[in-house]
Formats: sequence, structure tokens, C-alpha cells
Amino acid sequence: MATLTPTTASGATAAVGPMVYVDPARVHPPTTFEELIGDSGLNGPFIADLLSDMLAHERAGSHLYRSVHGRTLNPVLESQYEHFGEETQEHVATLEDLIATLGGDPQYVSAAARATEKSGTGLVESTYLLGGSVDALTRELVMLEAVFLAEAKDHANWEGLGQLAPLLPDAARDPVAAAVEKVKTQEDEHLTWARKTRGQLVMLQAETPAPPPAITPPDELIERIQQMLA
Amino acid sequence: MAFNPLEEAGIPVEDQFRSWSELNVDPYDKWDVDPYTRTRVILMNGIEVESIIFSHQFARQTDDLELKQRLALTRRIDQQQQKVVNGLNPGEQTPLETTIGYEQVAVDLTAWLARHEPDPQLKVALDFALLEDFDHLYRYANLYELLHGGKADALTQHLTEIMPGRPTFVEHRHPYDDVRPHFETHTVDPLSRMHVMTIVAGEQQTMNFYMNHASDWIEPIARGLYSEIAMIEEQHVTHYESLLDPLDSWLANWVFHEYNEVYLYSSMMEQETDRRIKAIWELHCNMELGQLQVACDSMRRLEGREPAELLPPSIPDTPVTFEPNKEYVRQVLEATVDLRTDGTEYVPVDELPGDHRYFAMQKLLNDGGTPSEMVIDQNREAQGREYRDEIEGDHPIAELQDTARS
Repeated sequence: MATLTPTTASGATAAVGPMVYVDPARVHPPTTFEELIGDSGLNGPFIADLLSDMLAHERAGSHLYRSVHGRTLNPVLESQYEHFGEETQEHVATLEDLIATLGGDPQYVSAAARATEKSGTGLVESTYLLGGSVDALTRELVMLEAVFLAEAKDHANWEGLGQLAPLLPDAARDPVAAAVEKVKTQEDEHLTWARKTRGQLVMLQAETPAPPPAITPPDELIERIQQMLA
Repeated sequence: MAFNPLEEAGIPVEDQFRSWSELNVDPYDKWDVDPYTRTRVILMNGIEVESIIFSHQFARQTDDLELKQRLALTRRIDQQQQKVVNGLNPGEQTPLETTIGYEQVAVDLTAWLARHEPDPQLKVALDFALLEDFDHLYRYANLYELLHGGKADALTQHLTEIMPGRPTFVEHRHPYDDVRPHFETHTVDPLSRMHVMTIVAGEQQTMNFYMNHASDWIEPIARGLYSEIAMIEEQHVTHYESLLDPLDSWLANWVFHEYNEVYLYSSMMEQETDRRIKAIWELHCNMELGQLQVACDSMRRLEGREPAELLPPSIPDTPVTFEPNKEYVRQVLEATVDLRTDGTEYVPVDELPGDHRYFAMQKLLNDGGTPSEMVIDQNREAQGREYRDEIEGDHPIAELQDTARS
């Protein structure tokens, strides 16, 4: 089962940073992947950190999908968030398996992963901390934009890994290429859907004369949201 | 004691309000009370104050009506809990007597946490500040005798020794040297996280208490001593709060606060000897379980995270315990009394270069006399000796032994 939040119970390890102290028993050794990378000239520790970063992003994505799935008022969006959330959780498992296959530690949280987790938390927070500033209709857009931004980075992550695969020694190339192959189509679909749906929502609102949401009775507004994309 | 707070419903928050008459509890008797009941009251007051301050800070980050209302609701309950806990302190207990209680908390809480701290670096942080609070108890005890003729051991009942620690006048560092590296939130032992949150709350309460009570006094020596030690408590809050990982979200921090309060109230309940006060700890534990459910529900709904992902499966089976730590404090004194800080490192004072900012701060702040030294001199002059309660023998550091007595 995929780990969505690494902890001591799941066996988390981390790297020491300028202001980050890690219990010596839980310090991640910085030389991971050196053997696997061999004489390819690639930077093994960087790739280990990169995969940890990608994993942190998928984990944050799982939380984001759970959050927006539970709060959207639109049945089309709700259904798609649930579906993509399930696939994102599968991507977490895929990355964990890949890292383990490469001899790495899926419970390792790199410095880059910490930064990514912070931005992921900020993205989710942007959908609710200012909940009182936005009407229900705008909130739908804010949540969808968070999904779009997350999927844009996610897509770039897998695209980058795909570019890296041919440069890897044989033992690493195949599992990386297989993981990319398995996930890439879904990532294409996630990003394409998020971009397209965001555009649709924007155009729908721009082209549909209606009173401003702020003065629309809540029931009517909810009905408008529920009927969007139908 | 071990149980999973996530599986306990507790008292629903909406049912937790109490009337004024219920909040206006009878205080304990200051001469009959078990000193560790007094320390439990002081600690849990600080824990509630931290919870309230945290909730206010969180509320200022959001305009989401439902979230703000949930914070307002649980915070109002926290305020009621704080009134009950702090109301246990009797009016006849003077601020200086309460202060001696605060320092007994600081010594025996910090020492207990250090003894049970699994992370070596966090243990060093606790030991470092322990010796400073240990010294504060000695300074205030002398003020107590000087101003009131009172013996602090009547309050501490010899459970905690009273003698010099790392002398207060040497504790004044440059602010840059109070900042420490933080633990990493994924890899930190859940017990360590709770230790740090607990000591931050305790030190913050002490800082606030001294900040507000320095002006209670007419006597310049008392005003000066409270101000001086309040500044060390500022240093301690800086020291301890920097151990917390800033990666955790607002909602995660809310959940951690409630979880820690469950752990602490259940700890206090387990060891309380006063049946009436034990019932308060039990009630508040059940209230915290209800508040934890609200925080967890908010986390699930807004952040899409299951609290079980980041919380341990049960609270630690070792309750936070107030008990004597005399031998431990003596060991730490012998080993580390000469430590200072240089940036984020702990170093022996004789390894600091002569032009280090530490010495510049020392010169600047201690120029014209230091209240923490003056109080000992004045009490020695008044009584013919200074006040100490050395139960386990002479002070382990030769330079800090009572020369007037020997």
C-alpha cells in the first residue's frame, strides 16, 4: 500500500540540511544510486533526490484530489477528481516500486521533496484559507486551477524522467522506461483535462449572462455550478 | 495508558461549555498541596494558553467562515479550560510563590523530558536550558527569603534541589546564538515532537508570566530580577521553538496541538494525588478528545489528509511525570555547566574566541550590575548566608559551592 505521508512508523529517512537536524538513525546516506548509475556520468544522488521530489509531488497530489473531490459541488468535476485521485495514488505506488527497484529508499524525503511538499501544502491551502473571499463559483475555479498547476508540474516531472531513461545504464533504463510508459498516458490525460476543463469553465462563465455570484441566491448558484459541464 | 485518541469520540465540543459557577473552581491550599499538583496546574495552564495563542494565529490566516467558526468554538472551550486550571491557584499564593512553582516546573519537567528524549540532539537542547532554569529557581528562592523571610523549600518540599546552576548572568547571549536547527517532521519520533511542543508551551507561559509580573513590585531588586530572567525565558522560547519543523501545515499543527493535549491531560490524570483535581484532568482529557475530532475532521475535509497518516497508532505509554530529578540535574551540571552557544552549536566557554559576540553582549548587558547576582549578595548580607536547599550533598561544581558555609 502506498505511503501518503512518510513517518517514523513507515520508516522515513531524510537528509541533514543547513537548519535541518535528523536523528542519526534516520539520516539517509547521500550515495544512493551510485552503483546503479555506474560509469554513465550521471549524478546518482541528484537523481535519488529528484525521484523523492517526484514522489512528494504525487503524494501532495493525492491529498489535493481528496480535498477537492470532497468539496466540489459539480458532479462532473467530483467524478473526475475521484478518478484522477485514484490514479495519482497508483502513481505514488509506481514511484515507490521504481525507487525500490533501483535500490533506493521510497521512504526517503529529500530536501527537494520538502520544498515540493511545502508548495503542495500551499496549493491546497489556496483552495480553502481564503474561502471567505470567494463565492462558490469562483471556488470551483480556484480548486480546478490548483489541480491544473499540480498536473502541469506532474507532467513535467514524468516527461523529464522519460528524457533521462535513455541515458541510464541497462539495469536502470528498463524499469524507469516501464514506469514512464505506464504513467505517461494518464499524466497526459490529467493535464489535458485540467487545461481544457479550466478553459471551459472560464468560457462558460464569460459567455453566459448572469447576475454576479455575490448577489445570486445560494441555491441558484449551486444549481448553476451543478449544471456546468453537464 | 496507551490508547488511540483517534478511536475515542470524547465529549462533543458543543457539549463542553460550562457555566460561570462551574468555571469558578475552589483553589488548592498552598501549604497542603502536593508541590507536583502545583506544577501540573502551572504546566497545563501554559498548555492551554499556547493552544489559545496558536488558534488565534491560525484564525488570522484564513477568512473561511466554517474554519474560523470551528477555531472560535474550540478556542472558547480552551479559554474555559484555562480558567478552570489557572483558577486552581489560590489568591493567597503570591506571584513570587507562584514563580517558585514555575521554576520547579521548569526544572523537573525539562529534566524528565530530557531523560526520556529519544533524539540525542533534542536531549542536548533540553539539558542546555535545564541548567539555566535550575539557576533561576535559586535566584528567586533568595528573593523570596530576602523580601518575605520565606523558605522556598516550604513550597518545593525538598523534591527539587535549590542551588546555583549555570549562573544567570552568563546566560545572556547574542540573539543569533539562541537559534537552533529543527527536527525533520517525517523522521522525528512522535514522542520528541510532543516533548518539544510541551516545553515550548511551558517556557512561553513562563516568559509571559515574568513579562507581566516584573511591574508588580516596589522593590527595585525584584523588578530587576523578573526583567532579567524574563529575557532569558525569551531566549528559551527562541531556543525551543526553533526546534519545530516549519514544514508542517496549519492544519497539521492544529491536530498536533490537540493530540499533545490529550497526551498531557491523560498523563496528569494518571499521577494526580488530589481526587478533585484528578477529576478535572479526566474531564479535560475527554474534552480534548472531542476537540481533536474537530481538528481531524477539518484536516480530512480541507487538506485531504487522514490524521492517522501522521499520528502514531497510540499515545506514548510513558506519561509525562513530575518526579524528583536530583541526581540527573547534578550529572548534567557536572558535564555541561560551562557550555555556551556559538551560532547553532554548543561549545565550552573557553573555546569561544575573545572577540566573540557573546562577550560583547555580556559586557553590554551586565554593565552596572546584574540583578541575579545582586539578589544573592543582598540576601547573604541580610541573613548572613545565602539560601540553598542542597539535599544530596555539596554542589558538584567546586566554584559554585557555598563559600560562606564552608
